[in-house]
Amino acid sequence: MPQTHQAQYELPNIVTLLADKIGRVTHLGEQIYLWENVIFSLIIVMVISLVAFLACRKPKMIPDRLQNAVEAVAGGLDDFICGILGPRGRSYTPFIGTLFIYILFMNLCGIIPFMKSPTASWSTTLGLAICVFIYVQYTALREFGLLGYLDHMMGRPRGILAFSVFIPLMMFILHIVSELVRPISLSLRLRSNIWGDDLLLSVLAGLGLAGVPLFVFSALLAILAALVQALVFSLLTTIYFALVLTHEEEDKEMGKLIKEEKWITK
Amino acid sequence: MELLKLLSTNEIVAQILGFLILLALLRIFAWKSILGLLDKRKERIALEFKKIEEAKADIEKLRLEYAAKIVSIDETAQLKIHEALNQAKVILEDSRKNGYIQAQAIIDNAKQSVKYELAKAKDELKNEIIDLTLKATEDLIQEKFTGEGDRKLVEDFLKGVDKL
Repeated sequence: MPQTHQAQYELPNIVTLLADKIGRVTHLGEQIYLWENVIFSLIIVMVISLVAFLACRKPKMIPDRLQNAVEAVAGGLDDFICGILGPRGRSYTPFIGTLFIYILFMNLCGIIPFMKSPTASWSTTLGLAICVFIYVQYTALREFGLLGYLDHMMGRPRGILAFSVFIPLMMFILHIVSELVRPISLSLRLRSNIWGDDLLLSVLAGLGLAGVPLFVFSALLAILAALVQALVFSLLTTIYFALVLTHEEEDKEMGKLIKEEKWITK
Repeated sequence: MELLKLLSTNEIVAQILGFLILLALLRIFAWKSILGLLDKRKERIALEFKKIEEAKADIEKLRLEYAAKIVSIDETAQLKIHEALNQAKVILEDSRKNGYIQAQAIIDNAKQSVKYELAKAKDELKNEIIDLTLKATEDLIQEKFTGEGDRKLVEDFLKGVDKL
């Protein structure tokens, strides 16, 4: 895993400490060190699964505190996603919601002492972005069909002469490039922001006045950044889905507005 | 190219698997039950609201019914009062008639009594006058009138007085 040149800026965490204790030169120590981000990701997967299990093992109509908190998060995410995608967004809530929670937990992990944000690694964020890319393309193919998808990629409007061949072909190439660039931009944005945050935290951890490290102040900023980055990733994912979903409801609504002659004011 | 050195295929695959495992776990154990519960709760709240709306409509219906009943009660009361007034007028008229008849009867009785008393008084007066006349005459002639002939004489005299 070619990440060693970053390691000098990172705070020590339980995995690197364990690897050091075992000895990095040993096979086990080397493997632990190399799978550092995956180990933290799995810890977070376990934590989230445990919380979800505890909250949802006996769901009640009048919820207890934990169920109430989980319901508030789930309901908020569902409203957020359905607000963008419409009523059909419900089927994408589990994917986007899980993505948001997972990224948020991974981002916040870096603030906890002796832990590390797995999202500071591009491999982690690219893995997630690839999941998004595949699911979005699958949704697009399911929505439009293969020919419809190609037609969608050629864009609109189309007309006679040059507009019938040349422009659609150029648009098609442009769309392909834009689709392929999306996971890279999505993953790099998240990785770079969180990596920058962690770097800042590690630098500021050693600075400060009389026992109050600057880490404390920048940690608040890091929490905000973690939340914003998770939100941005989820929001962009939702928008990618919105771009490939047919908008029957919107068309119907617009048709209704035109019929009622209210569309000008809207 | 420098950026690509940051990537590791193994890690990417592991991260994808980790995410897919989490997604599967949450989809099965959390999202399904939570979203189902939220929907159920929304439905329940909507149902409660519907019930409240229905109850409101029922109350409004009852209110209108009662208002209509109050109006009809007022009308009935007015009718009853009118009937009672008419009845009272009839009773008053009857009472007045009865009173008049009774008064007439009393007046007739009184007239009869007066007549009777007058006749009685006349007789008594007649007798008194006879007695007084006899006494006066006795005193004048110093002779006692006795017998039927004297009485007849006085009575004739009195008849003459009556004619006057």
